[in-house]
Amino acid sequence: MKDTKDTAVEKVKQKPSEPVREGRVYVPNTDIYEKDNAILVRCDMPGVAQDQLDIQLENNELAITGHQAAVAPEGMDRLMEEYESGTYRRKFNIPQLIDREKIRARLHNGVLELELPKAEQAKPRKIEIATGG
Amino acid sequence: MYWTNTRAWSPFEELRGLQREMNRLFDGYDNETSLSRFPALNVWGNADQVVVTAELPGLEIQDLDLNVVNNQLTIKGDRKSEKPAEDAVCHRNERSYGAFVRTVKLPYAVENDKVSAKYENGILTVLMPRHEATKPKRIEIKTA
Repeated sequence: MKDTKDTAVEKVKQKPSEPVREGRVYVPNTDIYEKDNAILVRCDMPGVAQDQLDIQLENNELAITGHQAAVAPEGMDRLMEEYESGTYRRKFNIPQLIDREKIRARLHNGVLELELPKAEQAKPRKIEIATGG
Repeated sequence: MYWTNTRAWSPFEELRGLQREMNRLFDGYDNETSLSRFPALNVWGNADQVVVTAELPGLEIQDLDLNVVNNQLTIKGDRKSEKPAEDAVCHRNERSYGAFVRTVKLPYAVENDKVSAKYENGILTVLMPRHEATKPKRIEIKTA
């Protein structure tokens, strides 16, 4: 049997604050640039606050997770909905060695900027050819 | 085609039905806003005010332009492309740049000078109180 509107609303209110299953999962649009000394990653993550963001670099895998804050204002009806809040998640493989101590992350107006400096041994190096004597 | 006898079986009727179904599926998304879907908007409202939120990552406040005329809100802006350095090599470029404009119809006219907006974490929120003149008014019936 279908729930009446009231019982459906009641069910939503009774939801535990810690969701068992996350809402929608989105893949953030990302730009990746490489410089001689660093890799730059930029992700569009609107609605993610700084404390809701988790960045992990394990071996060669960079994992970015960000939870969006719920958007529904209280006591208002939804008239048009083109986006839903959810979780941004993405993983990248980074083949170069990264200097973990110097990684910098900045979240500004919904864009995450990551700077991953290359480790010394991963930087391009000109190889001198010794002339045979 | 009004001349087709709908009762007669036609192999094309099945296909036409399928086509209708598909059209109906996409029609809901295909109103006046179909030209531009950026930024994605949510509209919320009650009897006193209407709230529009937009997912707009990576803008500065000075690049955003909001306009309200009666019951229309227009959001204009420009997402600037910025290469981090001249010698940087691009491996992936999924974020889009450029100017955008979106107009959304509100359920009623709003008080133009009482509109407030904030921009936080890449979400634009515009609060618009309803125009006094459009609020429903209770009419007293006098007994003779």
